[in-house]
Parts: sequence; C-alpha cells; structure tokens
Amino acid sequence: MLEPHGDCGPHGAWFALMIFYILRRLLFLPLTLFGISLLIFLMIGFLGPYQRLATFINSPERLKGADVDKLVELYGLNDPLIIQYGRWLKNVLRGNLGWSYVGKEPVLSAILKRFPYTLELTLFAAIPIIFLGTSLGVLAALHHNRPLDHGLRIFAVVGWSFPDFVFGLFVLMIFYGTLGWFPPGNLSVWAEEIVKSPHFRNFTGMLTLDALLNGRFDVFLDALRHLAGPVLTLTYVEFAFLLRITRSSMLEVLRKEYVRTARAKGLDERVVIHKHAKRNALIPVATVSGQTVIGLLAGTVIVETIFNRTGLGSFIALASQQLDYASIMGGSLFFGLILVIGNLCVDLSYALIDPRVRLE
Amino acid sequence: MKRFLVVLGCVFFALLGVLPVFAEVKNPDTYIYLSIGEPDTLDPHYAYDTASGEVINFVYENLIAYKGESVTEFVPRLATEVPTVENGLVRDGGKTYVFPIRKGVKFHNGNELTPEDVEYSFERGILFDPYAGPMWMLIEALFGYETLEDFVKDKVGIAWSDMVDEEGNLKSEEYRQKLIDFYTTYIDPAVEVEGDSVVFHLSRPFAPFLSILAQNASWSAILDKETCISLGLWDGQADGWWKYHNWKKEKSPLYEKAIGTGPFKLLEWDRTQQKVTLVRNDEYWGEKPKLAKVIIWGVDEWSTRRSMLEAGDADQVATPLQYLDQVKGLPGVVVKEGSRLTITALHFNWTVAKDSKYLGSGKLDGEGIPPDFFSDVHVRKAFSYAFDYDTFIAQVLKGYGHRVPSVIPRGLIGFSENLPMYPFDLEKAKEEFQKAWNGELWEKGFKLTLLYNTGNEARQTACEMLKENIESLNPKFRIEVQGVQWPTYLDAYRQGQLPAFIIGWLADYPDPHNFIFTYYHSNGVYGTTQGEAFRKFAEENLDALIEKAIEETDPAKRQAMYEEIQKIAYENALGMPLYQPEEVYAMRSWVKGWMFNPMRPGEVNYDGVWKEE
Amino acid sequence: MREETRKALRRLFSNASGVLGVVLLGLFVIVALFAPLLAPPKPGRDPYFMPVVTWSADPLPPSREHPFGVAGKRDIFYGVVWGTRTAFRIGILVTLASTAIGLFVGSLAGYFGRILDEILMRVTDIFMAIPFLVAAMVLTTVLGTGLDKVMIALIVFSWMYPARLIRGNILQVKEEQFILAAKSLGVSDTLIILRHVLPNAIFPVLIQASMRMGSLVITAAALSFLGLGAPQGYADWGALLNYARNWMLGGYGATFKYWYMIAFPGGAMVLFVLAWNLLGDALRDAFDPRLRW
Repeated sequence: MLEPHGDCGPHGAWFALMIFYILRRLLFLPLTLFGISLLIFLMIGFLGPYQRLATFINSPERLKGADVDKLVELYGLNDPLIIQYGRWLKNVLRGNLGWSYVGKEPVLSAILKRFPYTLELTLFAAIPIIFLGTSLGVLAALHHNRPLDHGLRIFAVVGWSFPDFVFGLFVLMIFYGTLGWFPPGNLSVWAEEIVKSPHFRNFTGMLTLDALLNGRFDVFLDALRHLAGPVLTLTYVEFAFLLRITRSSMLEVLRKEYVRTARAKGLDERVVIHKHAKRNALIPVATVSGQTVIGLLAGTVIVETIFNRTGLGSFIALASQQLDYASIMGGSLFFGLILVIGNLCVDLSYALIDPRVRLE
Repeated sequence: MKRFLVVLGCVFFALLGVLPVFAEVKNPDTYIYLSIGEPDTLDPHYAYDTASGEVINFVYENLIAYKGESVTEFVPRLATEVPTVENGLVRDGGKTYVFPIRKGVKFHNGNELTPEDVEYSFERGILFDPYAGPMWMLIEALFGYETLEDFVKDKVGIAWSDMVDEEGNLKSEEYRQKLIDFYTTYIDPAVEVEGDSVVFHLSRPFAPFLSILAQNASWSAILDKETCISLGLWDGQADGWWKYHNWKKEKSPLYEKAIGTGPFKLLEWDRTQQKVTLVRNDEYWGEKPKLAKVIIWGVDEWSTRRSMLEAGDADQVATPLQYLDQVKGLPGVVVKEGSRLTITALHFNWTVAKDSKYLGSGKLDGEGIPPDFFSDVHVRKAFSYAFDYDTFIAQVLKGYGHRVPSVIPRGLIGFSENLPMYPFDLEKAKEEFQKAWNGELWEKGFKLTLLYNTGNEARQTACEMLKENIESLNPKFRIEVQGVQWPTYLDAYRQGQLPAFIIGWLADYPDPHNFIFTYYHSNGVYGTTQGEAFRKFAEENLDALIEKAIEETDPAKRQAMYEEIQKIAYENALGMPLYQPEEVYAMRSWVKGWMFNPMRPGEVNYDGVWKEE
Repeated sequence: MREETRKALRRLFSNASGVLGVVLLGLFVIVALFAPLLAPPKPGRDPYFMPVVTWSADPLPPSREHPFGVAGKRDIFYGVVWGTRTAFRIGILVTLASTAIGLFVGSLAGYFGRILDEILMRVTDIFMAIPFLVAAMVLTTVLGTGLDKVMIALIVFSWMYPARLIRGNILQVKEEQFILAAKSLGVSDTLIILRHVLPNAIFPVLIQASMRMGSLVITAAALSFLGLGAPQGYADWGALLNYARNWMLGGYGATFKYWYMIAFPGGAMVLFVLAWNLLGDALRDAFDPRLRW
C-alpha cells in the first residue's frame, strides 16, 4: 500500500536544495536564449534577400521609386548569414535589440510598451480560466458519467472547438453591436485623454492597475469594460482544456489505492477529496495551467486584432508577416525569457505539491 | 467562495448598466477616422505612402494648393501668387518659376516663415534623397536625373559609393572639394532666394512642375530651417552635406516629429495603438478648422471598423468595395463616392528569368512556356481578347469602376474615349493563339503559373477569370493560379520570375507622364520589370516620344503625343489595362463639409469638415 | 479475442458518450471516404481545391444548387465535404508524428533524469519559447505555401507538449514503489519504461493527443486567419470560416443574415473536435487497467 509521506528531511536542507535547483536552471537561461535566437535566425536565413526586403517595402504600392538593389545593400541583406547574425549579436550584447520596423521604434521599447497590456489581459483571463477549469473539472469528476459530467464536457468542448476569431466576433456582435457594453480598443476617448495627460502617472503600464493607483475609479471601470470582451472570448475558448485535464486527473486519483484506503478507514469524504485526491491530481493540472498562461501571453493575437487592443501578440504576428527580423528575434527572446521563468515556476510547483518528486 | 464570485459578477454587470446615455453626436468636436495601417514616417522627404501623406498634408503646408476638387487649377498657399506665364512668374519658356512668399506665417513652435525656410526645405530634400523615397520627382523635374547619386556620378565622374562610405564619411579628402563644387554649381543655384521670393531654375521645361509642388505632395512640404538644424539635420552648408544623404528611415528625427505651418498640430503618434492625434492650430494664418481634434486610428479588422461606425464611435471608416452592401442603408450612415487617379493593369514579362519556377518546363512543349513567351505579339493580343472586362467591373467591382484604353486614367490629359480598346472576344482570342509561335502554340499547348499577392481579392479574381476563359479555348492550355505572401511575391517580381503580373499605379502628381513613363519607358519603374526584350522595344519605339511629350508645354500638342503613344501600346498589346476603380467612403450622416479631391492622400479634408446633426 | 480486450471493448460501448463519439467519427469517416460521390470534383482539377462558382465575392444563401450556400466565390457544401478529408489528414499525420517524437523525448528525459533531462528540457524550452504563430509564419514563408509545409510547421512546433507532459508524469510515477521494486529486481530499464512506466504515465498524453486531433484543425483555422495555412481555395473548414470573418456582423437589420457561412463549417468543426474528445475519454475509461475492480 502506498501512502504519501511528508517532507523528506529537515526543512533547511530541502530549502537549500530548492535554491540550488533554481540557480542551476537560471544558469541555463543565456544558453536557452542563444539557442532561440539561433533557431529563428536559421529559419529566416533561408529567405532570399528580396524576401527579407519585404520588411521595408511592405505592399505593392511602395514599389514606387524603389531602387531595390540599393536597399538590399543598405541594409546588408546580401551579406553572408554569419555576418548578419554576428552584427545582430554584437548589438544585443550592447543592449541594443535593433530597430523595429513594425513598431517604428527600438525593439526593446516596443516590446516593453506592449508587454504590460498583454500581461494585463493574461492575468484577467487566467483567473476565470483556471478557476472555472479546475472547479468545473472537479465537479465533472465527482459526477463521473452522470448528466452533469457529460453536459459540462460538451459545453467546454463546444467553446474550445470554435476558432477564437469566430467566438470573438460573436462577442463583438452581441456585446458591443447590440448591447453596447464591451467596446473594442483599450479605452474610451475621454479616458484616454486622462491617461495621456501629465497628471496621470504610469506606474506599471497596465491600465487597470495604474488607474487604481492614480485614484481614478472611472478610468478603471472604463478599462475593465474594454477588457471584458477579450476576457470573455479567451475564457470560453481556453478553459475546456483545463477542465478536461483536471477531470481526468481527479478521476485517476480518486481510484488510486490510497484514496480507497482512506475511505475504508472511514475518513470524511471531503477530507479524502481535499487532502489527498486534489493534491495528487494537481501535477498535470499545474503543467497545463502553466502552459495555458504562457500560451496566453503570446497567443492573444487574434483577440487583440478583433478587439483592436495593444499587445505583444499582434506585434509579433505583424513582425512575422513582414519578416521584420529584429522584432521577431527580440520578441522571441523576450518570450523565451518568460517561458523559461514560467516553466521554472511550474517545475517548482511540482515539488511543492508533491514532495516525493525529487528535484534532481 | 462561489457565492462571493456570483455577487461580484452581479455588481460588475450592475455597474455596466450605469452607462452614459447615447449622445446625439458623439465627440462633437473630434473627428475619428479609422484607417487600415498607419503612417510609415512623418519625414516629408522620406514618406511615400498615403497614410504618412495624410498626416503630413495637414500639419505641413506647400507653396500652392489645388482649387477645391480640381486637379488642374491652383490657388496660392504659402506663396502669395500662383506662377503663370500671364503674371510673369513663369519665365524663360518654363525654365524659371518665381514664388513670392507670404508674410506673417508662423510655424507651430512660433518661428516665422521666411524664404530661407523654403530654400532649405527643397535643398535638404534633394540632398537627402533616400532610396525608395519620393524625391526623384523633384530631382527629375529640376535636373532630369532619377536620383541624386546618378546626378553626382554623371557630373563628378565617380560613383557615389566610391566616394562616401556607409557612415557618410568621405573615403578620401580629394573628394571633398569635388562634392562641395557639385553643390555650389548645380544644387544651390536651382533653388534661390531673391528678396521676398523663392526662384526655381529648371534645366529644361517640365510641364507638371506645379503639380509636383502643390499641397498633397508631401515631398514639397515646407519645413522650418531652424528646427531642422537643431534636430541635427543638414546645417545648410556646402561643406559636409554628403553626411546627410540617404539616412536610414529610423535615423531621421523627423520621422516622428512634425513642426509645420498647417491648420493642425501633431499632438501625438502612438505607435502601440496605431493612432495619430492632431489638434487645431489656433495661430493658423488662414481660416481655422472647425474641428478641435482629429484622431486617425489604424483598425485593420473590417468587422471592428464597421461596428464602431455603426455605434457612432467612429465618424468615417475605410471601406473596401466588397463590403459596400454592409454599410449601405445603415441608419445614420451615408456613402459617398470618388474616383482617384489610379489604374490597375496586367503586364507581361517578355524575358522571364530562366530559373523561374512559374515557367513549367521552360519550353514550348505543352508543359510550360519558353522565357520569351510574351515577346510574341499574338500571345499578348490573345490574352487581351480573353478577359471579360465588363463582367469583372460589374461583378467584382460592383460597377464601381470603368475601363481605360491604356494606362492613363480618366481626368488627365492624354485620356480619350475614342482610343481603341480590346473587347472581350473569345473568337478573336482563339485566332490570335492560332497565329502565335507559327501555329506551334495551338498544337502543343502551354502551361504557366499566374501569381497574385494574397489579400487582394480583386486581383485574385482577375487571375481566375483569365484562367477560366483561356482554358476554355483549348484543353491543352493550362494556367495555374497561385496566391503567395507578399515577401515571396516581391522576391519573384524583383528577380523577373513572374511571367505576368497585375500591378497598379496611383498618381504621384496629376500628369500623364507619371503613368506613361512608369509603364512604357525603358527606365520606368514597371518598364524595367517587363524583360530585356521589352526594354529594347521601348527604347526603339517609345522612349523618344515619351521624353518629347514631357518637355512640350502646349496641352493640345501633348494630347496628340500621348494619344500616339497609347495607339502604339494598343497595336502591340503592351499590357492589359483592367480598370480604373472608384472608391466608396462610408461616414456618419452628421459629418458636414466633406469634399473629395483625387490627389488628396487619405479620405478626409479635416480642415473643412465639422459635425452636427 | 483476448479476454481483456473483449472486456475493454464492452466497457467502451457501454459508455454513452463514447458511443456518441465513435458514431460521429464514423459519420465523418464515411463522408471523407465518399467525398468524390457526394461532391464530384471537376474533371482534370485537383479535387482538394474548391471550384469557383461565381465571380462576385458576395456570399449567397443555401439554394438547391448550393445546399450550404456560397462563400468566397466557392460552394460551401463542397468545401465541408472535402474539408473532412483535409481535417483527417492534418489531424492524424501531425498528431501521430508529434506525439511519437514527444513521447520519445519525454520518456528519455523523465526516466533517465540528470544531464539528459536537463539537455532535452533545454531543447524543448527553446522550441517552446518561439511563439507558435511566429514560427509557423516564418516557416511557411520560407518553405512556401502548401498543406504539407503547414503540417511540417505544425509537427516541428508541437512535439514539445506531449514531451513535457509525459516527463512530468514519469517524474511522479518513477517514485512509485512498484517501479523501485522492479529496479531492485534488476529488470532492464527499457522493459521498465515500456511495461511499467509508460502505461501508467501515458493517460494524460492520450487525452492530450485526442484533444490535439481536433485542435489541429482549429490551429489550421487560426493560420488561415493570419493568411497562412492551406493555400487559397483549398478545401479546409478553417479557410471557409475565414471567409465568414468579414461578413459575420451581417447586413443592416439582419444580424444573422450570413448564418450559413458559420453554421456549416463551424458545425463540422465543433462536431469533429467533440467526437475526438468523447472518444479519447471513453478510450481512457475503457483501457485503464487500474479501473478494473
């Protein structure tokens, strides 16, 4: 018979292990980032100089008057790959990520300006997604194979199998077109004037938080209104996966021997569920939650396009379409950083949830 | 926990219910226009797209402007008179233009406008001449060269890249004096200050010169010399001017700053939201705009633009033709029309690059086409007969467009309803195919690939229509229609790999030369991409005519010359002009004072509109 | 038939939603097989390209000639029928390939741990760090348009998810007592992985794989939205939905005027994904050895 046992060893040693583990993972960060940059550069490197030129001449109308070959020379698109990569790397090491043609400003500032918006949207969406996903998943598992279970699963899957843009347009149609509740954009005209005025101090770049910190509850509400549409879209489209994983994890755990043992011992059903079952069901759930949040951070492009919001997703998408490689590289590096840190947190949470997992 | 959330949810929705009542006219003194995309740069000497031009046009001013909706009549703007032969301000048979400069005009930062500012603006632009920029028009008009570097090479005798390196530094001191002399001999005297006027000296008469200067031509905007120098631009000196030539787009401080004399000031260009905000210039010397604020916002998704127009959160939105039915009849929305000076044509590549993958087998064996497929006039004529022009305009453009006999759009000199056009006639197409390549083509058949750039529905449909009609003539004829992303298209186009391409042109200035030169001259932007064989043809048959027509100043004579050029184009089926489109503009009914001008970049005359029920 | 399998199949078919899933999938399979009969292609043309039926871009409502209506100049019925084949192709090929790669990498990393785990996980991180859409866009620009290129992009950038999932599970299962027991008995590593570790750690991966069968169709739709995905005119549900994008808000006064543009391809997509999910769940319920009690 198996029993989950408590921490292995005195608290101090365990803590030290954690710190070492974190440090070791962080040491790999530069290597990871380097690998990312190389991978992307290789992909872009397969493109010919004229294809790369598309960044500067991005529509047929701009072919006017363009002396294409001279432009290729000017931007060094004909140089061997190594040299082009070397140039980029040299600049990065000096802290210069290059110029973003899509954002029309240096890459670093373009990313830093847009990231708070994406972060804000992600946070506001992550809460309902994780909450709904896990609680409904547990509910479904507890009512296994009964109507509630089937109903919940179908409800979730229907949302998940619609492409986001379809659902997003529905939301736009009903909640903005008909009801006028959730308008597109970041803020209304009057709210934006306030935010851009000199009295308003930008602390985090996230509109909701800054509005509260500036004591402007009206701006806060306006920002919420504009967030509601995208959050609604993202929630319905994303929570299904989490629901399923939670449900299947719970089901598996509910049948595990030690749960049966606990039940046989006569322990209160609720204790069985909360203390033993949930804890062990949580590892795949943590993985998927982490993946979802990280995915949200870079995958909000469609929602951003439809609701016309600022964000990193649409920035990177536009950069990829136009082959603005400085932006692509910079954006990917940034995202890579987030991912590594995010995965580290998820892995750490494995250890917190199930101390049996030895962090090697 | 759950109960708390339910309560929170109810509070949330309750708060939403306390919404502002729908006002009659939303944002009454702010105009909100939703566009596609955003400006490229606000530097007038770099910008060459309509989005940039739209902003530059209302923040900066030019010497003269078009009168109302006309493209042939002018009114003074920063000059006090429009130069004409009659008032003596056009002299030497059209080689000298004199512009008396208005007094009492202030830039947005308070500096006074002086003739030195005008001289500086033009000279800086010419010396700057960035690649892919618009300055070629002024350089061609004043000096007859395509680029500054060509000009320098011709006069100094050495290539630019041999004299100056990428950073703008001289490669050797011996070039310094040569370049200084170049400036003082050629550039400086071309634009001079004489008292209160600025005088332009052209190397030869150039008919459309005034159009190149008129308001809407962002490259002729007037900048403030002091501001520019303080921003680090050319200091106005002969020594060292080469350092300021051809900067990269992002290096120019003017890319996001705009200090002009215009009716609006630039408040902000928020690039994270693709939004430009303008505010009224209360010190404007002329009639002040009625609007206090203008917001030009890039919203790329049509459904979003449309719903904002419906809700009144936008006053006007960019409306692609195919969605017209969605806005016609919307309450509170009106649709207006206008016809720009633009045409779309299908042109042939007479000498396709041998490694092109769009040639099939590359031989006349039924599995491909030889690289010089289109050098046979019968093939070109056959294609010209095989396109159903009228059905295309009726169904794809919904009637918003009309045919043009050649590349000159309606509204310009040289256009004539009487010029011959190819009708849609499959019988004749068949005949021509049978004559092509000594009859071999009809026997063996052919296979080629037509590319279009994804995102452009009209062009895609045109390719598909052509394919259907031609394939119906002979089962051995096969045309594959493929959509590719823009970078791939650009690459193929540039390397001469496309056997044929559909391409449009929007007038830089309202003169036939702008179109004819582009499409038919051996050095034209599109002329160079139609293959070696075409260039030879153009050199022998068209170049001289085209050059004469631009130097002629008598409109009647020019009309005759351009008609002759177009007849040659027709007889040799040099290209297939498909249509001149009309545009539709959807706006709220509370917009008043809206006016159309074909040369205006952007869709709104912000200085003249206002909003009221 | 083995006793176990028979019992498992019986369990499978007694589960209502599982049966529904199988039935739905069966229907799709029939449609895919009989596509040439249901929607005959024009002779001499690639049947996967929807034929152009009208020149105007306006959508047309369902009629006798076009039972599902016309969108983007193409017959929706034809698109939905042949799109079924496309959906299966993408789903099966990509899921199989990426799950196989993911399982391989994840198992190695999870079981052997230490340096191998570290290296493999870094490589995984690198691939995951690139936003999928970015990678897909760049890759399809480089490789050219075409369904096969899209599938390559999908495989190359999706094997990481099963890899991580299985690694996580293996990390956990590895410590279970019966594994430690087997090890101490001297059973070889490979055997342990194949017979003990994998079967116990594999279920979330199966679930994930079944979700991905359907989700790949959705990802392809997202790619269409961004102008990538299948080439223009290819029979693909996502491409059909993409035509609806600019008409969804309806004409004035008739918000649902163009309902058919979404209903048919959208319905097909939802049912397809639903079917795979139901099947995946039911399979897991049926074949989980520890469910036997």
